[in-house]
Amino acid sequence: MRQFLRLTWKEARELLRPRYIIPILFVPVLFVAMGQGIGGLEDELAREPTVGVVNNDTGQFGATVVDTLEKGANLTYAGTGGPTAEALNRTRAGGGEALVVIPANFTERIEAGQAQGRVHLYAFVDSIGITGIASSGRVESLLSAAGQRITLAVTGATPTQLAPIASDYTTFVRNERLEEPPAALSNVLSSQFIFIPVVILVVIVFSGQMVMNSMGIEKENKTLETLLTMPVARRTIVGAKLVGSASIGLLAAAVMSVSLFYYQSSLSFGDGGGEALGALSLGAVDYLLVGVSLFFSVLIALALALCLGVFAGDRQGAQILLFPLMILAGGPAFATMFVDVTTLALPVKAVLLAIPFTHPALAPKELMFGGTGIVLAGIVYQAIVAAVTIWFAIYLFNSDRIVTGNAGRLGDWLRAMQR
Amino acid sequence: MATPAVAISDLQKRFGDTQALRGVTFEVSSGEIFGLVGPNGAGKSTTLRILSTLLDADGGEVRVFGADVAARPNAARAALRYVPEEAGAYENMTGRQYLEFVARFYVDGAGTAGTVERGVALSALGDRIDDRTGEYSKGMTRKLLLAAALMTEPRLAILDEPTSGLDVRNARQVRDVIKDYPGDDRAVILSSHNMLEVAFLCDRVGLLDDGIVVDTGTPAELVARYAVENLEEAFLEATA
Repeated sequence: MRQFLRLTWKEARELLRPRYIIPILFVPVLFVAMGQGIGGLEDELAREPTVGVVNNDTGQFGATVVDTLEKGANLTYAGTGGPTAEALNRTRAGGGEALVVIPANFTERIEAGQAQGRVHLYAFVDSIGITGIASSGRVESLLSAAGQRITLAVTGATPTQLAPIASDYTTFVRNERLEEPPAALSNVLSSQFIFIPVVILVVIVFSGQMVMNSMGIEKENKTLETLLTMPVARRTIVGAKLVGSASIGLLAAAVMSVSLFYYQSSLSFGDGGGEALGALSLGAVDYLLVGVSLFFSVLIALALALCLGVFAGDRQGAQILLFPLMILAGGPAFATMFVDVTTLALPVKAVLLAIPFTHPALAPKELMFGGTGIVLAGIVYQAIVAAVTIWFAIYLFNSDRIVTGNAGRLGDWLRAMQR
Repeated sequence: MATPAVAISDLQKRFGDTQALRGVTFEVSSGEIFGLVGPNGAGKSTTLRILSTLLDADGGEVRVFGADVAARPNAARAALRYVPEEAGAYENMTGRQYLEFVARFYVDGAGTAGTVERGVALSALGDRIDDRTGEYSKGMTRKLLLAAALMTEPRLAILDEPTSGLDVRNARQVRDVIKDYPGDDRAVILSSHNMLEVAFLCDRVGLLDDGIVVDTGTPAELVARYAVENLEEAFLEATA
């Protein structure tokens, strides 16, 4: 046991180096920064705009526009008549983002019913960015609200008459009946459809990458032969490589997942979906089953990466050999993101289900709609695949191939990939 | 009769279409430094790798102090240390940490410190022993690996081209360490292309050519047997 821990610590220590950690941390930092940027944009859009207004209209509708702006914005300047240039200067000096000029015939044109009342919106864009450009949009929203008030006044209609149709929804999802619109369903499940497959992909790729790095380091630094002649069972070396690399890989994946979640949370999906959709949420046992399925996926990815890493010539070669694993992990992730696997043609479905990484991505959907049996069957299948791949990794470590890298045509093909 | 440190008989190994070893046979006794000499591709490294349990033999028998390397690889591994021709150390460890890492596989907790200090002395790296091995020159790495192999006092040290790529000073230091190593219950087997080194270090030499040992003897015996002036010429005569 002490030998195993010693080797595991050695693996983790060799991987905890800036050259491996910095690239891994870069993407999460990017996601957090993007999330903060989007959060900042939402805060900016929620803030009351600072505007100036010049009302040259003596009628009631010009006053309605001014009243709407007073209630929904921070008015830094309000004037009547006078040159526009002076109003612009004073608005700007007061930190205004826009100036609204209401012309003299504004009310008259509306009351005549022949033409729209026109206002002129002067926008100051000092910040060339999304927030800077978006600021004038908030003033336009206020003008739109003023327009609605004027319509109610002119027509004498009620707000209900302006929006006379309301819908009630019933959505059937497989055998589940939900009193919610399909759009709300999409909002609620988007995390299941997109977030979980992406996290699974990230976990598999990062863990696999760490094992590959471990093998690449051994090959490049020529430490493997010395390690293999130590009085340690090869299965102990394999186990230590799996656990040591996985610990760093899973740590990286956790950081990545948290940053991804933070980024996704910063995106607004509108309506949460209502209580009726609570019926589609996962329970503790469901999450446990998804976790078990993910655990076996990671185990299989690590063992596969170790098998492929046997044929790595150096660190760069090891990264190239990660490619087949990325395809195996990425295919199911994208498939489950965009289609319902259960509705696919049998051959396609069979291929996807044969890939062990499909099952954790599929599990949340199946558990949501009572497909526990399919999930359990998938876990059993994954356990068998995991046992076989680990056995194969130990077999490779016990064979000449770990030293020579020879494996017939497969070995030639894998070497060709690294050229 | 004492158990030989190494007993290899009729060793066969094939890589694809290439028959690398065709019945290699020789023995190494305790107290000996045995040199395995041969041209490139003769099978020296393959023989040493099979002896070190890195490769499986296709035929024949290999024993290290009586332990069959195929049947009891961990018993053989406990008795031997192998320094490959182009080996390195873990770059993120200091030289001392590397020695500690290796020592703990062979020595119990209480004896580790003494073993590591022996390794530090053998390496002759001075203060640089506390630098990361990623910053070492090839010569320094070589000395560290040799120290790591010998500090635990293995019964059999297997050294593949131990002074390959070293400057004169470092090569001399390494040779001195090897020369002093064998004892009553210890042996060294090494391969080298440097005939002067082999003549200086080795008690006996095996001449390997095209996967078979063509002759064995002390350097003096081989020189006399082929009626030549030095080991290099004896080697050329034997493999002509």
